[in-house]
Amino acid sequence: MSGFLSNLRLLRRMNWLMLAAIIGLIVIGVFFIYSATLMREDSTADLFRKQILWAVAGLGCYLVTAMTDYRRLRDVSWGFYAMGLILLVAVLFFGTRIYGAKRWLMFLGVGVQPSEIGKLAVIILGACLLSPPAEKYDRLFPMWRLFALAGVPMLLVMKEPDLGSALVFLPLVTAMLFVSGAPARPLVRLMAGGVLVVILVLSAVALPERLGMTPEHQETFFRTIRLSDYQRERIEVFLHPGKDPMGSGWNKRQSEIAVGSGGLTGKGFLNGTQNILGFLPRTVAPTDFIFSVIAEETGFAGALTVLLLYGVLVICGLYAAMVARDKMGRVLCVGIVTMIFTHAFVNMAMTIGVLPVVGIPLPLVSYGGTFMVITLFSLGLIQSVYVRRPGL
Amino acid sequence: MPAGNNTVNFELKRIRLVLSIMLGLLLLLGGMLFSLQVSRGSEFEESLHRQSMRRVRLPAPRGRILDRNMVALAENQPCYCLAFYLEEIRKPGKWAKSVAEVQRRIGELTILVGRKPVITEDDIWLHIRRRLPLPLVAWRSLDPAALARLAEARCDMTGIDIYVEPTRAYPKNDLAAHVLGYVGKADLSDDEAAGYQYTLPEMEGKMGLERKFDAVMAGEAGGRLVRIDASGFKHAEQVEQEPRAGASIVLALDSRIQALAETAIRDVPGAVVVLDPGNGDVLAVASSPSFNPNQFVPIVPKALWEELNADPQRPMLNKAVAEVYAPGSIFKPVTALAALNSGAVSAGMTVNCPGYYMIGSKPMKCWNPNGHGPVDLRRAIEQSCNVYFATIGVKCGNDAISDLASLFGLGAKTGIELDREAPGLVPTPEWKKKDWHDNWRIGDTCNFSIGQGALSVTPLQMAVLAATLANGGTVYRPRLVTGLRDWQGNTLTNYPVVKVRELPLAPSVMQAVRQGMHDVVMAPTGTGGRARIPGVEMAGKTGTAEYGQKEDRKKHGWMIVFAPFDKPRYAVAMVVDDAVSGGLTVGPRVRELMLGIFGGVPAAETGAGG
Repeated sequence: MSGFLSNLRLLRRMNWLMLAAIIGLIVIGVFFIYSATLMREDSTADLFRKQILWAVAGLGCYLVTAMTDYRRLRDVSWGFYAMGLILLVAVLFFGTRIYGAKRWLMFLGVGVQPSEIGKLAVIILGACLLSPPAEKYDRLFPMWRLFALAGVPMLLVMKEPDLGSALVFLPLVTAMLFVSGAPARPLVRLMAGGVLVVILVLSAVALPERLGMTPEHQETFFRTIRLSDYQRERIEVFLHPGKDPMGSGWNKRQSEIAVGSGGLTGKGFLNGTQNILGFLPRTVAPTDFIFSVIAEETGFAGALTVLLLYGVLVICGLYAAMVARDKMGRVLCVGIVTMIFTHAFVNMAMTIGVLPVVGIPLPLVSYGGTFMVITLFSLGLIQSVYVRRPGL
Repeated sequence: MPAGNNTVNFELKRIRLVLSIMLGLLLLLGGMLFSLQVSRGSEFEESLHRQSMRRVRLPAPRGRILDRNMVALAENQPCYCLAFYLEEIRKPGKWAKSVAEVQRRIGELTILVGRKPVITEDDIWLHIRRRLPLPLVAWRSLDPAALARLAEARCDMTGIDIYVEPTRAYPKNDLAAHVLGYVGKADLSDDEAAGYQYTLPEMEGKMGLERKFDAVMAGEAGGRLVRIDASGFKHAEQVEQEPRAGASIVLALDSRIQALAETAIRDVPGAVVVLDPGNGDVLAVASSPSFNPNQFVPIVPKALWEELNADPQRPMLNKAVAEVYAPGSIFKPVTALAALNSGAVSAGMTVNCPGYYMIGSKPMKCWNPNGHGPVDLRRAIEQSCNVYFATIGVKCGNDAISDLASLFGLGAKTGIELDREAPGLVPTPEWKKKDWHDNWRIGDTCNFSIGQGALSVTPLQMAVLAATLANGGTVYRPRLVTGLRDWQGNTLTNYPVVKVRELPLAPSVMQAVRQGMHDVVMAPTGTGGRARIPGVEMAGKTGTAEYGQKEDRKKHGWMIVFAPFDKPRYAVAMVVDDAVSGGLTVGPRVRELMLGIFGGVPAAETGAGG
């Protein structure tokens, strides 16, 4: 009981600014989910109510996590990782197929995306492995082993297929290795290699002639790297915005128009014509494309506010890493911040058309129950690190 | 501290580096947002302006179905709808006010229209949410009286207009219903609907030629651009791409003969096919009972559908091509031709008919219990003597008969452009072994020779048989659709006559059988005498085939005829369920049909035959 009380007292040391940013993002999300679903006739019309319930549940989870000592994760990190793998395998067999990809597992009517759990499991496992408890043990956990451990869930996510989500694993692991003191050069090389691969794929899609590829070569190449037709289509649309504006380029183009026409202050809440009239596809407006609804209706001012709130989140998260009492806390915070940052950055960049369309939601803002809970759980871990910082 | 201070400082440095990278990226994103939203705002203003255009998919006018004399059997007729143009009657403020206004106006108009409106408050809300720039249809298919009352009315007509929607109509109602089929509301695939914000109801063939030639008749949908204002109401519109009308299909069918054929069997379940023996053109395909496709458009009423499907006489089934029957005696000409052609039998050979034929120790009865006495081929056909045909069938063997039957096209689909065509069956020893696991016996040959047993045919196949006998041995593929015409009536395609084969029969052999068939109708004692009409020489064959349980004693009556005998222009096959016999039941109906065809009495004025 006294343990509980002392934990409760610890909460007073929590980073309130970060909590404020979190709640700010959630509130913005709820408002614009309402806007994005206003014109829907079906049961999705009350998505925003569901989102409020999920947010409340998530915040509860957040507080409990913040009170719990993050060092206890050491005991469960492997178990959590194994569970993540099991779920990722299960989704390939029992997953619900939506638009040709199996990304969701249904539990009692609630959809769970195992890829989110997989990312968190890799972060937790990485934080434990990179900060060995034994005092003498100061040799760094081998880099390649961590990549291998992250590679398994990553490949499983690719198999769903969900290339966008799978690629998030890379910055996660890289950032954690980087701050835990891994030599910079191989990491830089790795990043450079990754960039090269991306450029190669992009040019294979866009300019096969330049690479001296015949169409047959091109086909073989895509088969070898397992790039599916829809992925190729999205890349083509990204590289040639004018191509097929009515078909596969639709979402991207409509999202850009929505954001661009928002102007400085937007068209006003519930007045976004792109959104209300259904040019932004209604199925993705409250989820992956929520940022374009916000940008359309509140303009640059509103979009910048969201950006700033993420900035606050990143600063608070990494500040927690800096003041953490041990290495595990540091690596854990960096991993989680990187995950949330990557999601937010990729999602917003995709919305304004500077990255290809991928199915990555905007953390805390997009509609999505389990993703909300998982995000808040992760942020609770950051607070757990923060409240246990040394001093006072 | 487990790690040295240096290590920690090193790590902190790196965390700061990560932080600056992330903040840098966020700054970059902010910059791009600024450029997109503020600097380049005007670019998107223009896009947005273009965005205020909505594309409405315009269905193409559907091609018509014409008979050989270009009489329309299926066409498009205007359907007058009363529609509200919401952009003109909207009320400022909440949507509910506009909805209430629409409801008030509907209430006002109900008396004028004289019918309850088909839409509810929910429908209005749905329309506002989904199809705001399109007119809201409150009443469909207004009758002329209501249109007149609306034109005279002095009430406020702003925002109200008569809106014309094309609907499919079958001007001759149930004429050739089984051939034409009907249309229903189309389910647009995602591909078809892509790029359009709104679609209008479109038609799609669901049965018969409407379905078979759907792609040809549907044409290409066009698009209309509707410019809308900020709140989604229509502001202006323009046609962006005219729909391309579908092609019309021209049938070989002659609607006059079709009507005669349908009249001939209107009170009994059965089927009639009339072919042109010279080229296989299908002049009439009738199946009774029938249905009226006009009742099926735009949606088949559920009660009617259930009633039609529960009817034991199966009105939806095209019995002329989709039902198989035992042919009975009308098959005997095939037996005769096979026997003569094999050389086993000559036309002059006589067989004594004592009224029965012994198969082993079992007698097979002739229909005349007293026996026909000695009969030759011509007399045997005229009298339809079972004993004679069993005898010559056994003489030439079942293989010769089944080979010839197959050459006539029996046991295979003719390939006519109609739904669910049945192939029928020509029994062979191999077939019996495979399906019945039994050996072929002499009794099977006897049954086969007189058109009984497992042999089954469609009325269309029997019409082909009649046409082939009429033209002296050329099998044509029945041609129902002769060509395609564009909207102005110019020829797009002509489908050629398809000659399937010439039968390898000596002219003398054919001549002998045709003489027998001539006597069937023309001789005073012929079984088909009731089909005789003044002034036209005909040839034919009657048939009666038992079906169902033996104790029910149910019989199909058949008759095939061709006329005129010398230069045949018409070949007919008619089958009637529940007949006394082919000669008694079908003969008079064939007479009525032929009278009409040769211009005796118009079909509408003749009484029912029989």
